Amino acid sequence: MNMPRLKVLRDVLAVITNESRLLRRSRSAILISLVVIPLFFTSSLGAGRGRAGEDYSTTAKLPIAFIDQDMTAASGNLYEVLAMSKDFNMLIQGYTEEEVIATLGKGGIFAAIIVPKGFQKNLLAGNTAYITVYYDDGSLGMLDVVTSNIQKNIVNFNPTSKVIQTFQPSGFARIQILQKGTKFSGFSVGLTVTMVMVIVFATFYEIAGSISRERESGTYARLLVTPISLGAVMVGKTLYDTGLNIIRSFIVLGLAIYVYGARLNTDLATVLISTLLIAILTMGFGFLVASLGVGVRAVVIIEFFLVLFLFAFSGFIIDKELMRGITQAISTILPWAYGIEVFKRTILIGQPLTSLTYQLQIIGLSITAFYAIAYLMLRSSRERLIR
Amino acid sequence: MNRVLRDTGVIAKKELKQLSRDPLSLALTVMFPILLISIFIVISSAFRDPNVIPIVVADLDGSGESKLLIDKISLSRSVRIAELVQTEEAAMEAVQSGKVIGAIVIPEGFGNKIVNSKEAFIVVQTDNSKLTASMMIVMAATEQSEALLEDYRTERALKLTAVEVVSRPISGRPMTGDLILPGYLGLITILGAFDDAVNAITRERERGTFPRLALTPMNLLSIYGGKMFATLVTNGLRTTFVLIIFILQGLVIRGSIPLIYLTTSLMAIFTLSFGLMVSTRVRSSSTLTILEIAMTFPLFQLSGAFSGPETLAPGGRAISRMLPWTWGNEALRRIIYLGLGLEGIGLDLIVLSASTIVLLPLATYFSKRTM
Repeated sequence: MNMPRLKVLRDVLAVITNESRLLRRSRSAILISLVVIPLFFTSSLGAGRGRAGEDYSTTAKLPIAFIDQDMTAASGNLYEVLAMSKDFNMLIQGYTEEEVIATLGKGGIFAAIIVPKGFQKNLLAGNTAYITVYYDDGSLGMLDVVTSNIQKNIVNFNPTSKVIQTFQPSGFARIQILQKGTKFSGFSVGLTVTMVMVIVFATFYEIAGSISRERESGTYARLLVTPISLGAVMVGKTLYDTGLNIIRSFIVLGLAIYVYGARLNTDLATVLISTLLIAILTMGFGFLVASLGVGVRAVVIIEFFLVLFLFAFSGFIIDKELMRGITQAISTILPWAYGIEVFKRTILIGQPLTSLTYQLQIIGLSITAFYAIAYLMLRSSRERLIR
Repeated sequence: MNRVLRDTGVIAKKELKQLSRDPLSLALTVMFPILLISIFIVISSAFRDPNVIPIVVADLDGSGESKLLIDKISLSRSVRIAELVQTEEAAMEAVQSGKVIGAIVIPEGFGNKIVNSKEAFIVVQTDNSKLTASMMIVMAATEQSEALLEDYRTERALKLTAVEVVSRPISGRPMTGDLILPGYLGLITILGAFDDAVNAITRERERGTFPRLALTPMNLLSIYGGKMFATLVTNGLRTTFVLIIFILQGLVIRGSIPLIYLTTSLMAIFTLSFGLMVSTRVRSSSTLTILEIAMTFPLFQLSGAFSGPETLAPGGRAISRMLPWTWGNEALRRIIYLGLGLEGIGLDLIVLSASTIVLLPLATYFSKRTM
């Protein structure tokens, strides 16, 4: 190995050692970077969505009123079907419609199922019978969970077994929808979001924040006038942060798999490569922002909006394909959106990384562009400084 | 007493003057709610008017009924038939390669079963990594299948016995896309007040002006009181901006506006106390701001801003109920949506106030120890 190459390697190693020493000296940085962020994000996901594959019903322990105004065998059967299901363990009887409307919204009961007069009569006449669900619209998401659980259980409802043999009388055609596609838990979906957020969030601040902090404290200028090349500084910081990201990914994955029972549909190497691609992309953007010479506070503000943009436009909340106009344009130019797609396709549906060449090409191009522009800008600021 | 009040006023004035001199912080105070809500509006418009999803259809039956179903699917507003393929394998391949998000396969014998009043089936293959789009394809397939059956029943004058669920919100308001707007107000209040804590305490400590302030003849109560009053003013400003945007968005606020200000003020004071408490351990303003942003994700999940605590998993429900912010967000929704007064949100306000009463003296005590 020739001398200049050895020098570059030595310089890179020196930058990595310096960064690690700085991290070791700052207890709060270690805590935030490796403990608080991965732990906060993953455990809040687990708390909100439950363990992967955990079978729980959101309405099971909610007090819900059942008002039977029909008082027939059919309405009685409906009550039994709901009460015997695992979704409505706290059905309360004895309220009137007026009482329920007055009580809803004050926390005592969260919804009311009303079976109106004529319910059985309609069914026996072959007409559509209605039940009314009053819900507290001050409690977000209540309508969806209550009605979907009623609809799920109503399939087993047989109005009066003595009068009508089956709920769906024979002689009627039906079309069943057989759904195919990889199945995964809600937690696994959340895990892809969490992993990306943890990586982007921590990585951007570690790169852009550390350079801005060094600039504010005056050590960055000193670093630039040392014989260490700018390339070695960037590579050193990148390698150091790659190491941190590997540790972080293992923490998140460890928590997700061993505490919350998540199951990955791909191998660990693919997860790590996908993670590091997003991390290096973010590092490139971090260098780019740092090359603009902004302060730490500005870095934090940019970080906030980066996270917000990713949340809104990269396919986390709404799939990229469903966006149109300006949202679609933003989503198309956000390179992270492709990284997230790689992440979802590999972790959730087990697609091999090699089959995602288009997305990988865009990520690769974006990384190259970010690093190249950042390098040129940082070099010009270094030259200005030396002059 | 008069002196304490006067000193509090002086500190509040100083804080507001400092804010007005820092264009970045001032812009953040004003722009933050506007940007956050603008992004929400963009997202919700994407939900209201989504792009049409491309699918492929494999008609293995070739009957009149299957053709009718394809016609109906092609009229659907949410999906677009990009290609008609010949085999099930080709349909599956189109989904797996990422060419389309979904495929509908109509198997052989489909039409025959419909005509003979038997149960037929269709296969819907979706790329489930696209959650919303997959759901929409299944919904479109279900809707169009139902429409086909409805035509079939009408043609034969058949009636179907069914139970339909009719939902009624207690506010009497029809379902709109603005369900999570109160949650945004809550989140803006929390993040804004946390940022105020960073500005008021940590940055002052970094500049070294906090000990000097503590050495003036003013007592600590006036100093903290003044900072709190300044936070209340900026919080009031933020709440006003957000409410104006809500009203421009067509949201009807059913409850009392002063109650909304009271709730956001209590949330802001609790958050300021929390920020003060955290700042006793985390001294750097940038680290504290990072912590603030890191808090956003758990708050999204657990503070009841975007999903009611009752709809969370059992563990999350308990954690959510322990967070005073959840009670604040709940109160905001109840005021804005249900028009409830103090009698309906009293408990929420008591929880918020009690948490502040416990946390604030503790935070002040620990903060004093760090000087």
